[in-house]
Amino acid sequence: MGRNVEHSDGLKWYPRAWRGRYGDDFVMYLHDRYGDGPVPLAARLSVIRSGTAERLRSGGIIGRSVDPDTRIRGASLLVLCAWGFFVIAGSVFAKYTEHWPLATPQGDHWLPAAAMGAVQWAAGAGSFIVVVAGVLTLPALFGLIRSDGWKTMWALVRPMVLSLTVAGMASIGIVVWNEHVGPSPSGTTPLALRAAGVVVGLLVVSALAVCCATTVAIAYRLRLTRRVTRILGRLAMAMAGVLVVIFAGTLTWWIATALHAPWFFGSLVPRSPSSPAPLVMILLGLMMLSGLVVAGVGTARIAGTRSHSDRTQTMTRYR
Amino acid sequence: MAKKTTTAGLRRANDPPLLILTSLAEGPKHGYALAQDIAEFAGVQLSPGALYGAIARLEERGLIEALPEVDRRRPYQVTAAGSAELSAAMREMRRVVDVGTHRLGLLQGRLA
Repeated sequence: MGRNVEHSDGLKWYPRAWRGRYGDDFVMYLHDRYGDGPVPLAARLSVIRSGTAERLRSGGIIGRSVDPDTRIRGASLLVLCAWGFFVIAGSVFAKYTEHWPLATPQGDHWLPAAAMGAVQWAAGAGSFIVVVAGVLTLPALFGLIRSDGWKTMWALVRPMVLSLTVAGMASIGIVVWNEHVGPSPSGTTPLALRAAGVVVGLLVVSALAVCCATTVAIAYRLRLTRRVTRILGRLAMAMAGVLVVIFAGTLTWWIATALHAPWFFGSLVPRSPSSPAPLVMILLGLMMLSGLVVAGVGTARIAGTRSHSDRTQTMTRYR
Repeated sequence: MAKKTTTAGLRRANDPPLLILTSLAEGPKHGYALAQDIAEFAGVQLSPGALYGAIARLEERGLIEALPEVDRRRPYQVTAAGSAELSAAMREMRRVVDVGTHRLGLLQGRLA
C-alpha cells in the first residue's frame, strides 16, 4: 500500500521523537480515515496545532512531560528570544531617537535623559548576560562539535552565516549609497534609497530571527550540566528584569518627550503641532510588549519549575 | 472555584483522554477503530491532532500502552493505572449524575 504524500506531509509539524514513536501509525490512521482523498482543512489545522504543541512540549516550553532541566532550558530560550525582540526594537529606537536632546528644551531634559540612561544601562546589562550565558555554554558547545563533527554543526549554522552575510553586505551597501548620494538640497531622502532602507531593515530582522532559531536549535543539542542549566535559568530571570527596565525606560522617555517636546515626533520645529504617538513608536512599543509577554511566560515557567523541583528534592531528601 | 479533576485531568464527559480510556475499556483498538467507536458511543468526532495528542499523553502517563503493530497499525490497551483512573473518573461523574438526577426529580415534582 502506497503512502499518501499529503498524509506523510502532516508529520513535519511534529518533533522527530514523536514521528519515530507515532509517525507510521498516524499516517495509517489518516489513510484509514480519509483514504486517498484530500485531508479536510479542519483536520489539517488540527494536525498543525497538535504538532506545534508537541514541539513546544518536547522543548519544555509547555506541559510537564519533559524533565525539569529541559523545561528550564526551554523557558530560558524563550527569554533569549524576547531579548531578540528587544534587540530589533532597541536598534530602531536608538536610531530614531539619536537627536532627541536637540529638540527638547534644556529645562525638561532630566527625565528623558534619565530614562534614556536607564535604557542604555539595561541594554549593556542584557548584552553582558548574553555573553556570560554564551561563555557558560562554551564547554558543552565544544563537546557537541567533538561528538557531532564540524559537518553537522556547519549544516546547523549555515543559514545563520548566510543570512548574516547578506544582511551585513546589504547594510554596508546602503551606507555607501547614502554617503554617495549625500544630502539633497530639499532635505529629503530619494525614494529608491528609502525603499532600499526598508529592504535592508527586513533583511536585518530576518537575519536576527535566523540567529535566534539557530541558537535555539543548537541549545537543545547541548549536553548541559544541571548546575549550568540552573545558572542559565537565573540569568534568564535577570534578563527578564532587564527587559522590564528597557520597556519602562522607553515608555518614560516617550511620555516625557510627548509632554515636553512633541514636535520631536513631527517636523522638529519647536512648538509646531505634531502627534505624540507616531507609528514608529507605537510599533516599537508593541514589539517590546510582545517580547515582555514572551519573557514573562519564560520567567514564570522557570520559577514554577525551580520551586516544583526544589520541593521534590526536599521531599526526597527527608523521605 | 477550582475544577475538581482526577490525576489524569479527566474533567468532562467529552474530554479526549476520557473517551479514549472508555473506548479501550472494551478491548485493544488502533487509532481509526478508536475514533469510530468514540463517534458511535459519544457522538464526538475527534480530530486527528486531538486523538493522537491524547494517545501520546495517556501513554506518557502510563494509562495506556501500545501493543505490537498489526498491518502497520498499532493497537493500544488500557493499563492497570488507566483502569484505576477511569474508575475514579466514573465515580466522580456518577456522583454528579446522582445529584443531578435527584435534584431534577425534586424540580419536576415541584413543577407538576
